[in-house]
Amino acid sequence: MSYRQQRQLWHIGGYLFLAVVLIIIAFPIYWIILTAIKPASLTYTPKPALWTNEPTLESITKLFSNNPFHLWMFNSLWVTIVNCTIAVAVGTMASYSLSRLRYPGRQFLSGLFFFVYLVPASLLFIPLYVILSNYRLLDNLWGLAWTYLTFTIPFCTWILKAYFAGIPIDLEEAAMVDGATRFQALLRILLPLAAPGIAAAAIFAFTLSWNEFLYAFIFLQDERKFTLSPGLTTLVYGDVFLWGQIMAGAVLMSIPVLFLYFFAQRFVVTGLTAGAVKG
Amino acid sequence: MSRTLSARMETTAPPQRIPLEKRLGLPRDALLGYAMLVPGLALILILVGYPFTNSIWLSFHRKLIGVPDASFIGLQNYLDLFTDEAYWTAVRNVFVFTGVSVAIKLVLGTLVSVILNERLPMRGLLRSFVLLPWAMPTLVTVLTWRWMYNDLFGVFNYLMLQAGLINTPLAWLGTRDLAMPAVIIVNIWRGFPFFAISLLAGLQSVPSELYDAGKVDGAGVLNRFRHITLPSILPVMAVVTLLSTIWTFNDFAIIWLLTQGGPSGATEVLSTLTYRIAIGGTELGKGVAVSVTLMPLLLLLIILLTRMTTAREERL
Repeated sequence: MSYRQQRQLWHIGGYLFLAVVLIIIAFPIYWIILTAIKPASLTYTPKPALWTNEPTLESITKLFSNNPFHLWMFNSLWVTIVNCTIAVAVGTMASYSLSRLRYPGRQFLSGLFFFVYLVPASLLFIPLYVILSNYRLLDNLWGLAWTYLTFTIPFCTWILKAYFAGIPIDLEEAAMVDGATRFQALLRILLPLAAPGIAAAAIFAFTLSWNEFLYAFIFLQDERKFTLSPGLTTLVYGDVFLWGQIMAGAVLMSIPVLFLYFFAQRFVVTGLTAGAVKG
Repeated sequence: MSRTLSARMETTAPPQRIPLEKRLGLPRDALLGYAMLVPGLALILILVGYPFTNSIWLSFHRKLIGVPDASFIGLQNYLDLFTDEAYWTAVRNVFVFTGVSVAIKLVLGTLVSVILNERLPMRGLLRSFVLLPWAMPTLVTVLTWRWMYNDLFGVFNYLMLQAGLINTPLAWLGTRDLAMPAVIIVNIWRGFPFFAISLLAGLQSVPSELYDAGKVDGAGVLNRFRHITLPSILPVMAVVTLLSTIWTFNDFAIIWLLTQGGPSGATEVLSTLTYRIAIGGTELGKGVAVSVTLMPLLLLLIILLTRMTTAREERL
């Protein structure tokens, strides 16, 4: 078989394979949306309808009227924003220090941040539980926001460090030669250039906090303090079938992160590659 | 003219401009460096360093939820675990879960990345689309699959029946032999996009001259993959695989929300066992001992990965 024929065969096979993969990705997402908007009569049947001509907002209205769902959304948003703001600010400073300044121990400290990012939540949740309970921070959104810093700070630091490293230092040096202070060079030259990287870090930190499950599930017990993760989870363990409402909640929970992903696609791929591949 | 100027400066006036290297290397630099690092460093030491060491201390104590004091009991927690069948089941399960999931994610991710690296129409859009399962909240993914796996009204059973793959509806999450494959499928669905997109980024940095050279030499498609593509993305592959191994090894949400470790321990892994003992059974000390037993392996993986990534950094 010639090279050209091999290529053609590979293309056809590859595209077919990709088509199958795309369907496998798409179907569960389609199913979430469909379950959220189709009437209950078409949902709880052994022959579930694969399409509906009579979409309804019944599930969504029930979700809000039967549960403090608006509180859960608000709490999620609050924890996420507080945590993101701190993480991005602290991470920017740390990554500037690690990528632009030379001092003893820099290599080690840089490794430390990465190391910390990889320490899994399943290892930390019990000691964190003990600490939070000692300081009466269980069932407290500040307490939860603090624990989220365990992964957002190292993550932001790591991807920003990779991003800063990719920006040539020459411009800052030139500015400093012309009399700018180091701080001015950082503020006026590096930060504007690094804006896409900072945006990526913020989006990632937002997504990580918004999607977090284990800590929220364990550290929050009061229904009114719930974020979306524990909130939606409680619906699963009820006695009645609430799948319409659960899927409606799932749609609402996904919208902010998917919105960010689509509108910040460019930044996200930058962040992913800087953080996961180059970093 | 410039030569005369510099000559004059050397002989007469002291140099006005301190060399840049020197200026950058001033002790002030180091001071500023440490100062800017302090907030982040302090926070991770308090929030990660302290709990991390505290967990080892706790594992030697009988510490219950709601009881302020902890009494030292030496190795008792560990002895309890090592004589408990449930612990060893969880160890076995976590290796099966991680091994199978990561292997399939790697193969699937590599295939998808190689295909996406071809000149496709709407490649940017396809790439964002492939990333969707990874971008969605884990909770949403898991609840959706739980709903699809539902034995009475689940679409999974319906489609399988329609396709003639099964004869009667199956309880995917409630049957011993099916539960593990079921949770692995969800982990793969969620995790392979990360492989695909990261590897795609790696592939895009392979210089196309390499492929042209291969074409001239008449390398076949498979040979081309083995001798050109694979070696150039191997480092990225190693990093991504290690990362995913660590994440999968510690996954809690997928298993807990699908099966809670059941039926009768068939999908119990170390993270769910930790939770069951510590929070469900209120024995925090014994629960933390479970996670401490996997610390050595985890530390090994983390240090390996940290080494690899920092080494890459230095080369860049």
